[in-house]
Amino acid sequence: MTSPLPAPPAAAERLLRLTIRDAEWRDAVTGDLREEFVHLVRRLGPGAARQWYWRQAIGLGIRFTAARVVPRSAPRRWQVRDADMEPRRAWLPARDVLYAWRAIAHRPGLSATIVGTLALALAANATVFNLVDALYLRPLRFPGVERVVIVSSAPNNAPGAQHNSVAPADFRDWQHESTTLSDLAAATFWDPNMSGVDEPEQLPGFLVSPGFFRVLAAEPLLGRTFLDAEAIPGQDRRVVLSHGLWTRRFGSDPAVVGRTIRFDGEPYEVIGVMPSGIAIPFGAEAWAPLAYPEERWTDRSRGGLMVIGRLADGQTIGTAHAELAAIVERQQREYPETNARRSLTVVSLTRGLADGFAAPILAIWQAAAILLLVIACANIANLLLARGAERQQEFAVRMALGAGRLGLIRQLLFEGAVLAGMAMLVTVPLAAAGMEATRRGMPTTIYRWVPGLDFIRLDYTVLGITLALGALATLVFSCLPAFQATRANAAHALRDGGRTMAGASRTWIGKTLVVGQVALAVCLVAGAGLVIGGVDRAVNGVMGFERRNVMTAELRLDGRAYAEPEQRRQFVSQVFERLRGMPAVDTLAAASSLPYTPAGSDRIYPEGVALSDAEVRSARVQRVTPAYFDALRIPLLEGRVFTDADHPDAPLVAVVGRGFAERYWPGRSAIGRRIRTTADGPWLEVVGVVGDVVQDLLLDRGTPTMYRAAAQAPALPTAFIVRTAGDPRNVRGELRRAIAAVDPELPVLHLRTMEDVIAERAGGITHLARVLGAMSAIALLLALLGIYSLMAYLSSRRTQEFGVRMALGATRGSLRRLSLGHAAFVTGMGLAVGAVLAAALNRVMSSALFGLVSIDLPSIAMMTAGIGATALAAGWLPARRAASMDPTEVLRME
Amino acid sequence: MAKTSYLGEFEYAVMLAVTHLGDEAYGVPIRELIEERTGRPVARGALYTALERLETKGCLRSRMGDPTPERGGRARRYFSVTPAGLRAVKATHAALASLSKGLEAILERP
Repeated sequence: MTSPLPAPPAAAERLLRLTIRDAEWRDAVTGDLREEFVHLVRRLGPGAARQWYWRQAIGLGIRFTAARVVPRSAPRRWQVRDADMEPRRAWLPARDVLYAWRAIAHRPGLSATIVGTLALALAANATVFNLVDALYLRPLRFPGVERVVIVSSAPNNAPGAQHNSVAPADFRDWQHESTTLSDLAAATFWDPNMSGVDEPEQLPGFLVSPGFFRVLAAEPLLGRTFLDAEAIPGQDRRVVLSHGLWTRRFGSDPAVVGRTIRFDGEPYEVIGVMPSGIAIPFGAEAWAPLAYPEERWTDRSRGGLMVIGRLADGQTIGTAHAELAAIVERQQREYPETNARRSLTVVSLTRGLADGFAAPILAIWQAAAILLLVIACANIANLLLARGAERQQEFAVRMALGAGRLGLIRQLLFEGAVLAGMAMLVTVPLAAAGMEATRRGMPTTIYRWVPGLDFIRLDYTVLGITLALGALATLVFSCLPAFQATRANAAHALRDGGRTMAGASRTWIGKTLVVGQVALAVCLVAGAGLVIGGVDRAVNGVMGFERRNVMTAELRLDGRAYAEPEQRRQFVSQVFERLRGMPAVDTLAAASSLPYTPAGSDRIYPEGVALSDAEVRSARVQRVTPAYFDALRIPLLEGRVFTDADHPDAPLVAVVGRGFAERYWPGRSAIGRRIRTTADGPWLEVVGVVGDVVQDLLLDRGTPTMYRAAAQAPALPTAFIVRTAGDPRNVRGELRRAIAAVDPELPVLHLRTMEDVIAERAGGITHLARVLGAMSAIALLLALLGIYSLMAYLSSRRTQEFGVRMALGATRGSLRRLSLGHAAFVTGMGLAVGAVLAAALNRVMSSALFGLVSIDLPSIAMMTAGIGATALAAGWLPARRAASMDPTEVLRME
Repeated sequence: MAKTSYLGEFEYAVMLAVTHLGDEAYGVPIRELIEERTGRPVARGALYTALERLETKGCLRSRMGDPTPERGGRARRYFSVTPAGLRAVKATHAALASLSKGLEAILERP
C-alpha cells in the first residue's frame, strides 16, 4: 500500500485509552478496532468508517467502565453456584442501578417521556422556590440580619402599613428608654441628585442617625461610618457610599475616600464605602448623617422617620414589642394631642422591607408549581402502571424463580430513583435558564423596592430542594406501580400470558390518576386565565385617559436651587418656553406625578363632612398645569378646569375626580364646595369635576383624586407630559435638551412614553401572568398526555376483545364509540372535579390579588369546554387505531 | 479449578469459536466466526468482557502477539482454550445434549 494508512479519530482513541485501564487489553482492543477500521475505510469510505469507530469507542468505553464499576458474575441460569467456592456478594447498590438502567434503556421513548416530564416539573419548582427564597424568605443576607427589627408607630387610620411614620421625639424616647433593643437608629428618605461627576444622577439615598450601621452590625469596607458629632447641622456634609455605587460610578477606586462629591448642589466628603449586601433600606446607595436641628427632635406631630433596632442578647421580637408597647402607651397618655391614636408594630427587618405584593404572587406561583409537580407525578405513575402491566410476565417469571417480592419492589424503586436522577441532571440547566429568564423579566423600575433580586440564581438551597422534591416524587410515582406490579399471582400471569391482567383495580387507579390530572390542569388553566385576563384589563383596559402619543419626563426639583416655590414655577415655564411651537408638540403639561407611577396620598378635610376616625380621609393629590386634562384627554364633567388665571395670588381652587365627588357629596353637585389639606390650612374651592382615571394598577376607578393648580402649589417631583402629533419618541431628544438647557445639573429620572410607563408598572404582574400561563400550558400538555397514554394502554389491553367483537359482527364505528366512551367518561369526571376546584380557587385568588381578578364564570366554562374537546381528541387516536385493526390479525396475535 | 463450571450461552459460543480458530483466535476473527455461524450480531464490548471473564475463570489463556503496522503498532491478543475450559465446554455440551435427548423429533424438524 502506497498511501499512508487512514487513522481513526484521535479523540475516540483517547476515549478508549482512558476507559480501558489494562494496558494489554487496551492494545488488543484498539488494535482490533484499527484492523477493522482499515477494512471499513476501503469498503465504505473514511467518513462512514470514522462514524463507525466513534460508535464502537463509545460503546466499548461504557462497557469497560461499567465492568470496572460493577463486578459481574456469570449469568445465573447456567452457573452451578457453589457456596463454598464463591462467597455471597454483599448487596451492591451499583448492581441494582445497572439492572434499573437496563430496564430503562429497554424502553427509551417511555423513559425519555418520564424524564422530560419530571425535569420540567422539577425545574418549575426549583425556579419558583428560588424566587420565594430570594424575594421573600431571605431577601437580605448579611450576618445577624435576624437580630434587626423595624419599629414603627403609625396613626391608626393611616392607609397601609407605614414604617417611615415615627415622630423624632418619639424616637428619642425609645432610644433612651428601651433595654430590649441594644441600639436604635432612624433613617429618612434623601434621594439626592448627585452631580460633579460625568453624568448627573438621582440616587436612592437615606439620611441616617449615627448608630445606623451599628444596628446593622455593618463594618465599612473602606474608611469609617458616622460620628455622633456629625449629626449636627453644619457638620453633616459627609457621605458613605454603597458597594454598588462605588463600583458603578467610581470604578472601585479606594482613593474615593476623602474625595468631595456634590449632592443636591452641596459638597459632601466621602468618608466610607460599605461592603456589598448592605443596601438598606430600599436599595440605598448613599447615606448621609441625619442632622435635624434640635427643635425638630422635640416634634411629635410629624412622622417621617423609619426606625430600626438591634435586639439585645436574649431578647426576642416579642419581648421588645412588650417593652416598647408600654412606652408607647405612656406616650399616648402624656401627649394625647399628638400620640393618642398611634399604635406600635415591631417586625423583623426582612419582613418589614419585603414587598407586600410579593407574598401573594409568590404564593400563587409556588402553588402552581407544586400542582404541576403533582400532575407530573400522576402522569408518570400512570405510565409506570401501564408499563408494569406489560412486565407482568417478567415479574411472574422472576417470582416463580424465587425472587422475593421485596426484591422486585426494591428494583422498581431503583428504576424510579434512576429516572429521577436523570431528570435532576436535566433539571439543573433548565432551572438555571428559568431563573435567568425570571431575572431578565423583572422590570428594572421595581429593582429598588424588591430586595433580593440579586439572589435569583442557582445555589445550593435550590439544588437541595430539587434533590428533596425529586426523591419525594420518586417515592410517590414509583411506589404505587411497584406494589401493583408485584401483587399479581404468578401462576395466573404465566398462564394468561399477561393478557387479562388489566384487572379492574389497575384500570381504576389509572382512571383516578387521569381524572385528578385533568381536574388539576383545569384549575391551573382557569387560574392562569384569570390572571392573564386581569392583567390584560389592567394594561389594555379602560383607564379614563388616552395613553397613546404621549411622551413624559420625570425629575425631582430638589436642593437649594429649587427651595422656593417660585423657582420651581420658573423652571417649569422655562422648559415649556423651549418646547412650545415645535411642530411635533400638540399639548404641553406638567404634573406632580403621572398616572401609574407611585404617588403618596394626602389627608383631606372636606368642608361639612363629618368623618369618623376609622374612615380613610386621604386622596391622591396631583398638582397639575391647566393643560394636563387636555394632554391626557381626561374629560371635564362639570364646571371648569384650571386656567392661567389660577395664579398664586388668586383664590385657591381644586378640581376633583368623579369618584371623589360621589364619595363626599353624593347626589349633590361638588362645584363650589370647599376642601382643605390640613386641619387648619386654607380652604380650596372645587371649581370642576373630571372623569375618573385609573391611577394605578390594581386600584379601582374610584380612587379619590383631587387636582390642585400647579401654579398655586408647585411640586418637588415634576413630570412633563407632552402630547405629540406623531410618534411620541420623536420628541424624546427635544424634551431632554430643553430640560438640560434650563438646568444641566438636573438628572432626568425617566424619559419614556406613557405607554411605557404603564407597561413598566405592570411589568411585574405581566411577568406573573406569563409564567403562570407557561406553567398551565405545560400542565395541560401533561394532562393530555395522561389521557392519551391511558387510552392507548386500555385499547392495547382490549385488542383481543375487540377482535372477538369484530369477528362476531361489531362495526368499527361501534368499537370506536365504545372506546371513546371511556375517554369521555374520564375526561368528564376530571372536568367536573376541576370546575368545582377552579371556582374555589377563583375565590381565593380574587382575595389574594386585590381585585385584579374577578370571578369570571363564562371564561371558566369556555376553558373547560376547550380542555374537554382536546382531551377527547387525545382519547380518539388510540380508539381509532384499536378499531381499525384487522380482526383475524388481532385474534392470531399472541 | 477443582470444580467444573457450566458456561452461559454466549460464553459457550465464544469457547467454541476459540476452539475452531486454533492459533488464529483473536478478537476480530472470533467475532466474525460467531456472527457468521449463528447469524446474530455480536457487540464488541460483550465479546471482550466475555473473553476477559472466561480468562478470569480459567477457561481461556492468552498471549500477546507481535505489533503490526496495520494495527497502528499494537499487538494482537491471541486466546487458547485451557484444559479446564475444555472441561467446561464438554460439560455444558453434555448437559444440553442430555436435556435435548428425546426431543430430536421436535428439534431436528425443519
